[in-house]
Amino acid sequence: MIDVVATAARPATPDWVRRLPEYLMIWVPLLLSAAHLVTFSLWTIWISFTPSTLVPVTGWVGLRNYTSVLASRNWQIAFDNLLLFGSAFVLLSLITGLLLAILLDQRIRGENVLRSIFLYPLAVSFVVTGTVWSWLLNPGIGIQKLVHDLGWTSFRFDWLVDRDMAIWTIVIAAIWQSSGFAMALFLAGLRSVDADIIKAAQIDGAGPIRIYRRVVLPTLWPITITVVVVQLQFAISAFDLVRALTNGGPGIATQLPALVVYDLMFQRSQLGRGAAAAVLMLLILLAVLLPYAAWRYLRRRRATHA
Amino acid sequence: MRERTFAPSRLLIYLVVSLVAAAYLAPLVVVVLNSLRSNEEIAQASMIGWPQQWTWSNYARAWSGFCVAETCAGIRPYMLNSALVTIPATIISTLLGAIAGYAVSLWRFRGDNWIYGIVTLGLFLPQQMRLLPWTIVLRDIGLINTLTGLVLIHTIQGLSFTTLFCRNYYVAIPHELIRAARIDGAGFFRIFWRIILPLSAPILIVTVIWQFTHIWNEFLYGVTFTTGQQQPVTAALIALSAAVADIPQHGVQSAAVIIAALPTLLIYLLGGKYFVRGLTAGAVK
Amino acid sequence: MPITTTRRRLLAGSVATLALPAFARAQGAVKPRLTAISQWSAGSDGAAITALGKKFEEKGGVWQHSPVPGFTTEMMNKLRAQIMAGDPPACSQLKGPEIAAWSKIAPTVDLDSIVAAAGYEKVVAPDLAKLHKPGGKWIALPLQIYSTNMLFLSKRGMDKAKADKIPVTWADFNELAEKMKSAGMNYPIANGGTRPDDGQKFEASFAGISPTAYRAAIMNLDKKALEGPEIKAAFAQTRKIADWCDPNVGAQPYATNLKRFIDGDMGMMIQGGWAQGVLRNAGFKFDDFIIAPGPSDNGKPVFLLNADAFIFWQRKEPDLQAGQTLMAQLVMDPAIQTMYSQITGSIPVRTDVNLSGEGWSDGQRRTAAALKDAVANNQAVLSLAHNMAQQNGLTAAMIDVLTEYVKNKTIKPEQAVTRLADAVEGAR
Repeated sequence: MIDVVATAARPATPDWVRRLPEYLMIWVPLLLSAAHLVTFSLWTIWISFTPSTLVPVTGWVGLRNYTSVLASRNWQIAFDNLLLFGSAFVLLSLITGLLLAILLDQRIRGENVLRSIFLYPLAVSFVVTGTVWSWLLNPGIGIQKLVHDLGWTSFRFDWLVDRDMAIWTIVIAAIWQSSGFAMALFLAGLRSVDADIIKAAQIDGAGPIRIYRRVVLPTLWPITITVVVVQLQFAISAFDLVRALTNGGPGIATQLPALVVYDLMFQRSQLGRGAAAAVLMLLILLAVLLPYAAWRYLRRRRATHA
Repeated sequence: MRERTFAPSRLLIYLVVSLVAAAYLAPLVVVVLNSLRSNEEIAQASMIGWPQQWTWSNYARAWSGFCVAETCAGIRPYMLNSALVTIPATIISTLLGAIAGYAVSLWRFRGDNWIYGIVTLGLFLPQQMRLLPWTIVLRDIGLINTLTGLVLIHTIQGLSFTTLFCRNYYVAIPHELIRAARIDGAGFFRIFWRIILPLSAPILIVTVIWQFTHIWNEFLYGVTFTTGQQQPVTAALIALSAAVADIPQHGVQSAAVIIAALPTLLIYLLGGKYFVRGLTAGAVK
Repeated sequence: MPITTTRRRLLAGSVATLALPAFARAQGAVKPRLTAISQWSAGSDGAAITALGKKFEEKGGVWQHSPVPGFTTEMMNKLRAQIMAGDPPACSQLKGPEIAAWSKIAPTVDLDSIVAAAGYEKVVAPDLAKLHKPGGKWIALPLQIYSTNMLFLSKRGMDKAKADKIPVTWADFNELAEKMKSAGMNYPIANGGTRPDDGQKFEASFAGISPTAYRAAIMNLDKKALEGPEIKAAFAQTRKIADWCDPNVGAQPYATNLKRFIDGDMGMMIQGGWAQGVLRNAGFKFDDFIIAPGPSDNGKPVFLLNADAFIFWQRKEPDLQAGQTLMAQLVMDPAIQTMYSQITGSIPVRTDVNLSGEGWSDGQRRTAAALKDAVANNQAVLSLAHNMAQQNGLTAAMIDVLTEYVKNKTIKPEQAVTRLADAVEGAR
């Protein structure tokens, strides 16, 4: 390709022709990607105002799809669950990830093996994670059965079939699957902390815990924000995992917005309502992303001014 | 705090780390053990247990035996289908993402920030929402029921991630380097091939790992936009597990899960070290 | 990227694909070919459709079946994508009122002449026939029938409870369940906990208490019937059934319990006839269990109809058209229906098939007899849980209420009645 560029660089050819390949390589993929996002979103917004059922149709029903989604029990439960699941999952996976990263950062033996162990769940598909955890967590065939068979018959671990606790089984499986990502990011952050600062603190006589609290953790702040955003994004669009693990049950106790969108659009053949639910989901996402974008913007401005 | 001493506190660290590691490994161990037990044995005991009789035949059945309707070829052909989609889509989206990230971060052009912002938003657009629009697009360009169509989808959707990470990585490359090369008369591609690409190994490993696992594990597009013999491996896994109206075949299912997960597991095992390293450079900006 | 403006290119694309069959026609007689989509990929369903495909090939056809594993939703996604692409399969699995709904989005094949030639109309239950000719013309053909409310009794469970009488009414059923419980079975009912299973518990209760009220409330959505005393009694009966089920089963399918059922650790199960095919596929014998019509308070069998069917989509290719004709003839053929039902455990759609011969189980014979009786007494109704009574949107909204009721023991029957009525109102 270098040769192509070089031979094309004869003085006779106009500049834009000479640079055409690079323009194409830059613009075509980026524009395709951006265009698909914009048109798909606009298309969904448009569908959410139509009476579409099985297939997209034209027409106008105003906000009717929105009001009926917002009034449905499914959506209300899904929204409440998202608040609970989202905050619990993000917080717990932050803590788990940070803890694992700090432990791995202690120059321990077998770090490579351990890191692989914490990372491997990322390689597994959500469908598999959901299925396997549904085996383990099912009281009839999983952990509870095992403990009973071992002789401790009063042991109970039946969250999967308990309406109030079932959402926590999703939290467990989700943390298992994705806290490795948080760990990797935190570990990366810990490794980039300036060793001199730590040495200085040690010379000042600070203990390890104090050093972490006062010196190391504050530098992890930007990473923490990144982790939170990535995990929140995961929580909001969690779909395959929930479908394989609880499928929204027991009853409709573990519905989540992504499940409701899919269900309305494709199982219930109410495309219009499904699109409305999807737009509501996008609004939730924006509510998360806009503050983040603002924060990044302010940070960058401060950095350039400084 | 970073030197090797032998204190009780270190013992505690090892204890905690191994406990957590055991918890992380437990599901894998359970699946591996189940893949070596017969369906009957699992049904009679629980899902968790030591094989009474080592049943290696589960793997043979999973690999080339069990039937999805009239095709009794195990998951072997489906693995091939998945590879045919995953490998090109991973390579193309990584390469295009690297070029785009390079252009956005070091070349700068009018409107680049806007385009870049929109593209990264793609990370957050729910997949279910894109299913029907993709149907329309694939129909209009005549790629429905082709593996090429799937490669196209995953390439375009993957660009969000690859562009984001590569851009964040390239931002840290000193501009002087580029400027000097331009003064020497190097063009866009020459700089990319000669200067940028050789520096990119850590971040390319991250994007390759990420893209490969995501595309390999994808199900929804895989079954909607392919037909019969072209379905991805996830479809075969679901066919094994979602036989709701049937006695569960946990043994064969476990073996199939293991085989299907091998490529992605290997990639993480081999690339795990670089993954953390690449993330350090690519995401934390 | 011009997504909407290039739709017409599709036409150009399909012309190109049309050229091939035309060429084949020019060469002489066409070889029938069938493209089909179904979700039947594994177990007895997979075995049955494979056997059907073999028959199709024996008749000289080319069988191109594309199974879509997973839930019905994925199958429908695939179908929708094919239809939107202007490339529907020659035939696809679809059932109940969805046939009417989907037939509005793409042209279907008029099967009237083929059906008339086979004299098929006379031998199909009228309620069922109606679902397959939404505009007055046959566009789909039912393939097999199940009743969703068959009563499965474990022989060992019966022995354990020292019971020998098959329950006829819900009172008998409840009595037997209590008896089994006092005989040491903690959970006498072996049902699962999936959404359709929860729906089945309710519909079996409701139709068994009053098929008339069921027809009015569930099939015709009559407001008064939806709030009547029968539906409240049905919810009360559903609660009893739920209480006798193993709470640990969670959202697992009933198949997880089959071993305990056969061993006599669980005594009864209200399940569709498909459970017979599953039991047999899993290596259990017919001597291990009894199948009887589900409990009915007026003593006469109530039949909750569930029928799988194929809808035929219009294609211009002569080989596909020939394939559709062949497929339609096969599906209506008593020998094929016999083969299919003997694999899956269903009963034939044709009421004139003789089930006394070898290969049929007592359970299937009883099911067929129950259908005959139920049709004669106007007690054959359409299943809600298996998407026969209402379109998917409405069904799902109603199942939401039912499954929540089954799983949440604090909801009272009266509350459930109100919620169900609200759900119907909200989804309409």
